[in-house]
Amino acid sequence: MIDFYNVYKNYPNGVSALIDTSFHIKKGEFVFLVGSSGAGKTTIIKLISRELLPTKGRVVVLGRNVARLKRRDVPLYRRNIGLVFQDYRLLNDRSVYENIAFALRVIETPGKEIKKKALESLELVGLRNKAKVKPLELSGGEQQRVSLARAIVNKPALIIADEPTGNLDPETSIDIVNLLRVINLRGTTVVMATHDKDVVDRLRKRVIELEGGKVVRDELKGVYRPS
Amino acid sequence: MKIKTWFYFLGEAFKSIYRNGWMSIASVGVVIVTLFLLGSFMILNYNMNFLSEDIKSQIEIVAFVGEDVESSQLDQLEKRISSMPQAEEVDLVSREEALVRLKEQLGEQGHLLEGYEDVESNPLRDSFEIRSSESEEVSALAQEIDSLPGIVKVDYGSEVVDKLFTVTRVINWVGLGFMFALGASAMFLIANTIKLAVYSRRQEIMIMKSVGATDWFIRWPFIIEGLVLGVIGTLVPLAGLYASYQYVVDWVYNNIPFLPLIPPSMVMEDIVKILIVLGVGLGILGSSFSIRRFLKV
Ligand SMILES: Nc1ncnc2c1ncn2[C@@H]1O[C@H](COP(=O)(O)OP(=O)(O)OP(=O)(O)O)[C@@H](O)[C@H]1O
Ligand SMILES: [Mg+2]
Repeated sequence: MIDFYNVYKNYPNGVSALIDTSFHIKKGEFVFLVGSSGAGKTTIIKLISRELLPTKGRVVVLGRNVARLKRRDVPLYRRNIGLVFQDYRLLNDRSVYENIAFALRVIETPGKEIKKKALESLELVGLRNKAKVKPLELSGGEQQRVSLARAIVNKPALIIADEPTGNLDPETSIDIVNLLRVINLRGTTVVMATHDKDVVDRLRKRVIELEGGKVVRDELKGVYRPS
Repeated sequence: MKIKTWFYFLGEAFKSIYRNGWMSIASVGVVIVTLFLLGSFMILNYNMNFLSEDIKSQIEIVAFVGEDVESSQLDQLEKRISSMPQAEEVDLVSREEALVRLKEQLGEQGHLLEGYEDVESNPLRDSFEIRSSESEEVSALAQEIDSLPGIVKVDYGSEVVDKLFTVTRVINWVGLGFMFALGASAMFLIANTIKLAVYSRRQEIMIMKSVGATDWFIRWPFIIEGLVLGVIGTLVPLAGLYASYQYVVDWVYNNIPFLPLIPPSMVMEDIVKILIVLGVGLGILGSSFSIRRFLKV
């Protein structure tokens, strides 16, 4: 599902964020990306979402070489991927429901389906009863659940989350990760970049650790920091 | 894209115009001033052309005959002029007749001419009045007549028309300069409005990109916003020009009846076309500029 073949990424300012990185993630996996700040986690996520292109090497996602995608096809490609960020990225001037509906409307989902899909998605994250509330009236955990509802509303094959629990307390973090687990159990591949030791150690999923742009560890049922 | 989507774009565009209220008003305002000026100049020019045609068709060439030309030679001279293809009508005006006309023109001051009335002292000359078949040919014909032996001086109406045109041309260049400057600032203001619109919606744009909205889906509302600003900026001066020109025509008709003006319906047709093209063009150009620079999709 996600294949990195000897990927290098140099930023225009000369920073080498990724150096000869290779890993392979299969459909249905749940993978944590860990590593200290500046290790290259966000860079990997941006390469997957095709916000960035690799300097060298090949990134193949859902059977497509992202560097070969035509400009025109990038939006269609992104519809297969649900993105979640640390800062939620919600529109605070409209309701929770409107936030989800917005994501559907801008990819021209037929009007009839919008309501059904949006409510279904809110149901799944347990916020159906908050549909009419504005994001800023919600707790951080609830806001992140809205953002998760938006990411899954189109039933993407892949969810990538960049430090989704970065702004949340430990308990709320577990809630969010449990939600990701449920989504994963329904068949969606999940990749999550995180600094959250608790979460990683509790779930015992595959862990890919980066250091200075290189993969230094890749183990199944891994922990945050091996003893 | 579906009709519903276009309504959505239009709604987003109007929302954005409303949100950037002052900027929108400023850019529409400058478009209005620019196009109002342009329209006024067009009306002025149409009327100048119309008027000069009128003057040209009324005024004929006057060719004065030299003192040394014998009366018997006048006939021959008249024949030569008549034989010129562009000369339609040739009348001989004798010095005696010219004196009578002048006396009539002077009216009460006619006594000024006392003492010049006999053949010997008449200061005027024999002349020919010629009407040309085509108004464009007047100056060529006048020159040809001027070169005939026995003709000492030629006057023609086109001189007046030429002066009129010179004045119009100067006004036009100055006006054109003004309009260029105004047009450029109108475009700049529209571009700036769209830039602000892009800026105030950067969060939405970021989300749209990440959920997979197409580039055109993201662009259209901004293009339409520029377009709407341009169109409003066109409709206002069109209505204003029509109403004020109608008023001027009515006023002139009642107060200066001999001054011919083109009826509003005739000038407006061209003006409507040109102003709409320009208004729409300014709007789209302005928004494209900002979309390219700031939207980066
Ligand atoms: N847009 C950019 N331009 C230049 N350098 C960048 C850019 N983005 C990241 N970098 C650099 O690339 C390296 C990897 O950054 P990246 O954001 O991938 O790290 P990260 O693992 O996500 O870190 P964090 O845990 O702090 O989020 C860092 O050295 C960073 O300074
Ligand atoms: Mg990061």
